[in-house]
Amino acid sequence: MSLDMPVTAPAAAGPGRTPDPVEALAAVFRRILELDHVPADGNFFLLGGDSLIATRVLSAVARDHGVELTFEDFLADPTPAGLATRIATGSVTADAHRIVAGR
Amino acid sequence: MSKNGGIDRSGSDLLDAFADAVLRWPERAAIESPEHTLSYQQLAFSAQRLAARLGDRPGPVAVAAGHHPDTVVALLGILAAGGVYVPIDPAFPVERQRQMTETAGCRLLVGPGTSEHADQLGLSPLELHDSTDQAPAWRTTVVAPGDPAYLLFTSGSTGRPKPVLTPREAITATVGSLRELFEVGPDDRVLQFASLNWDTCFEEILPTLTAGGRLVFDPEAHSASFPRLLRMVERRGITVLDLPTAFWHELVLHLTEDGGRAELPECVRLVVIGGEAANPARLADWSRLAGSSRIRLLNTYGCTETTLITHAVDLLGPRTPEPGRHWEPTGRAPIGRALPHVDELLTADGELLIGGPAIATGYPGLPEATAERFVLRDGHRWFRTGDRAARDEDGVLTPLGRLDHEVKIRGIRVDPAEVEAGIGAHPGVGATAVTATTLAGRAALVAYVVPRTGGPDPALAAELLLYLRERLPGHLVPSRITVVPDLVRTASGKVDRAASHRLHSTAPR
Repeated sequence: MSLDMPVTAPAAAGPGRTPDPVEALAAVFRRILELDHVPADGNFFLLGGDSLIATRVLSAVARDHGVELTFEDFLADPTPAGLATRIATGSVTADAHRIVAGR
Repeated sequence: MSKNGGIDRSGSDLLDAFADAVLRWPERAAIESPEHTLSYQQLAFSAQRLAARLGDRPGPVAVAAGHHPDTVVALLGILAAGGVYVPIDPAFPVERQRQMTETAGCRLLVGPGTSEHADQLGLSPLELHDSTDQAPAWRTTVVAPGDPAYLLFTSGSTGRPKPVLTPREAITATVGSLRELFEVGPDDRVLQFASLNWDTCFEEILPTLTAGGRLVFDPEAHSASFPRLLRMVERRGITVLDLPTAFWHELVLHLTEDGGRAELPECVRLVVIGGEAANPARLADWSRLAGSSRIRLLNTYGCTETTLITHAVDLLGPRTPEPGRHWEPTGRAPIGRALPHVDELLTADGELLIGGPAIATGYPGLPEATAERFVLRDGHRWFRTGDRAARDEDGVLTPLGRLDHEVKIRGIRVDPAEVEAGIGAHPGVGATAVTATTLAGRAALVAYVVPRTGGPDPALAAELLLYLRERLPGHLVPSRITVVPDLVRTASGKVDRAASHRLHSTAPR
């Protein structure tokens, strides 16, 4: 995946169709990373994300899906598709991983 | 460690204040973590056992500074032996760690299960916990106020980590001021949030452990999930949170976006922020949150070279506005006023200089850099912060920007030249310019790179990102790398970072 030429995200769900969770998460990535395009396999950290704004993804997931993921859940596959799978299967790790912010 | 020291007594050492706390509150919990709780007495025994095995004045000792109570034991043990604490982040690239321990002159690596790690770094491992349960005799290593206490690294322009050496008297003076400022007491439970590899952690650890308070470790603090963090704070009865301002901004966004559902835990009485100026919009958001008016929101300012915190002011909460003061922190966030142990001076061009007992010894092995930043004026030593500031009549400083190119990324100081040196070491790179900009609402590094071949090199940006991730700590890796045909240069031929950014930041990516 090139950083300069991100692949266009799959088309959004049309009227009457069930909203695609992958597309919904890609939209979250686009909003948070301020990017026009985020592919289903776009890695949050290679697209300019960091541990600090990863909190916004996890807050959005908690609000929209009622699932409280940890940073470790997110790190396992930090892409819209990976996150959608994790939410759908409910495979959430018990132990939180650590992000440690310095100053 | 002497038993006859007194808190804040002139000439006493930081560890005397800890020893006093151990005598006063031996059975109280000093450190709480999900695995176990350590009383003051147990903590002192563990630290003393380590000190006994290190021997008198072991010099600089590397510590694999994981986020664990063991690291606090190592810190206290090294200080008790009269050694120099050198925290090494095990998550950093190994080459970076090796540069750090070499620069510091370490021979030992202390930690639990560190033999493999020590091998990688060419150091001798010292297992933190020995097999004996015997309480050691109190050690009486004689230390002088000017003896070094710890060595940390900050960003340097050369592409190598830049060491800063801090004497014991600096940390002793600062911690004395911070106990007063935070009003820490035996009923406080302070969340250990900061990485144990940066000096910020000392402002959580040392005021707490010299005042009978409880230091709380919990991995939920770093789960990146605010609902989990807030529940943990409530469950553990945390009273004091010390957060990087950048992280606090995210917390406020979360609480605000959650409408009335998310609440500030009632147990919290003090939130300390620092690292960069608070965003006025987030301050306004915070002031509207239910319950925020009973929490002190304390802004702090300081550099590694001036030891933790030199300036502070209550931005919002029960202490504001101070009597007679017109107070609008939501218009522009102030830095604060000097703590009692700090001397300050504003030069003609507005640069803030810091003097007093809390300034560092210097940058070991870098006499030129030391002479440039640590200057003599009127017979006293001052540190040039590089920050410009204005002083109000009541002594509160307001920031006016930097004199150099240094930026803050997630609250950590970054010299763009260090990142440029890292990028320039890649064989495919001809020239590069690095600067900070606002991306996704927070400060982030952006890099512009001209390929060595001169022609377009579409794979270079992604390749560079992976290359840098293997060599530099995360805060030094740019959030965006853009390959460009050229950079803007000044009349003298130097790369103009700001102009290069203006030219290329709007280019299609």
